[in-house]
Amino acid sequence: MTIPFKLHNVVKRYQEREVLNADHLEIPAGKIYTVLGPNGSGKTTLLRILALLLVNDAGSLEVLGEKVNWSKNQLLKLRRQMAMVTQTSYMFQGTVYYNVAYGLRKRRVPEREIRRQVEKTLEMVGMSAYRDADARTLSGGERQKAAIARALILKPQVLFLDEPTSNIDMASAAEIEKHILTINQNWGTTIIMVTHNLFQARRLADEVIFLHEGHIIEKGPGSQIFDQPQDERTAAFLRGETVF
Amino acid sequence: METILQGIKEGFYLVIQMDAEIVQVTILSLQVSLTALILSALIGIPAGAASALKKFPGKKILLNTVYTLMGLPPVLAGLLVYLLLTYRGPLGQYELLFTPSAMVIAQVFLATPIIWGLTARAVMALEQNVYDTAAALGASRRQAAFTLIREARMGIIAALTTAFGRVIAEVGAVMLVGGNIRWATRVLTTSIVLETRMGNFSTALALGMILLLISFLINLLIILLEKRTFRYDNTIQIT
Repeated sequence: MTIPFKLHNVVKRYQEREVLNADHLEIPAGKIYTVLGPNGSGKTTLLRILALLLVNDAGSLEVLGEKVNWSKNQLLKLRRQMAMVTQTSYMFQGTVYYNVAYGLRKRRVPEREIRRQVEKTLEMVGMSAYRDADARTLSGGERQKAAIARALILKPQVLFLDEPTSNIDMASAAEIEKHILTINQNWGTTIIMVTHNLFQARRLADEVIFLHEGHIIEKGPGSQIFDQPQDERTAAFLRGETVF
Repeated sequence: METILQGIKEGFYLVIQMDAEIVQVTILSLQVSLTALILSALIGIPAGAASALKKFPGKKILLNTVYTLMGLPPVLAGLLVYLLLTYRGPLGQYELLFTPSAMVIAQVFLATPIIWGLTARAVMALEQNVYDTAAALGASRRQAAFTLIREARMGIIAALTTAFGRVIAEVGAVMLVGGNIRWATRVLTTSIVLETRMGNFSTALALGMILLLISFLINLLIILLEKRTFRYDNTIQIT
């Protein structure tokens, strides 16, 4: 099994404050990972570093088999194998079609092929009727589905999800969860998801990474972490208590 | 009041009659100001976007200078260009003084800081997640920069319309470097000054009306060119 992500002593600071200190982390391919932890534990920072959107201050990082040197060409090559959906996805000004086609256009895919792919992907997420709608007038749920389509169309090897369903109703969230499972099972896409919803994490996660104050406290199969957490801080978090 | 009404009436007839000199003056005004606008946009938009997106020493001082130059007095711009182009000036050999080219240069001096400064502001108003979204979807740095400019286009259009308004309406700089020469460098604004001084108020008013009409039509054209931005109602709903 390939290991798309290897982190060694990766540190990120904002001014003097250390927000992430991941001493060792390996993320093998093909699974669904959920990153859990209290607010401010460094979950989004970890995700953004893995997605190569944030430069670490110290430590080494290996992504998709390459030691990251942050050169322009390497960043582009690696980023083009990954995609990301955030909590409140930014929609570019224009139609849903424009947004979903964006990534393929940047890869200079012929327009006819783009049209075919956009239509297929929008149908997959049940958004065909919104093809020509202004992306900024969509409801929260529709917006997230459009963002999922915009990422899926790229058939990424890795999909990052930063609380993708935290602002939407349960029915839309269930639909998005279904898509997450489908792409993981059908395409073998590695999914790394930050969520605050423990039920969702339990439903989806093959593996859980638990963060606290920037440190990786525990990592293991979902069943193990949820049922028999090894660390008291993980157990307290899962019980809904304040973690010290 | 009577003079104004009479002037408007006569002015209206002058516009309809399409007097040869008025037509020539109008066309020259448009040529000079549109050329200046295009050149300023070619400099100001990339410079504005770059100075907003890049980190470099002296960035704040540069932007502050640009913002200051947005209020550059036209007469001062005209004087600087005059000194550059005069026979003994550094660019004197090109013999551009008292030609439409000199007027274009002076107007570029006035319009570029406006487009530069307002483009920088519009791009800086965007949030980090706009870049992140583009980059995460596989845009190269250059492609992402173009996306940022596209996302800031409402502000950039405002910059273009403001800059055009400034150059088409200014009189001091073109008067100094153009010389208001009949059939050569006379434009609408300098004609208005001249006609007013000669007491031909109706002609001056007619020229003023043409100036306003041109401004209206050019702004309409800029808005129509960016149909997509205005395709949807962007008005904030106030209840």
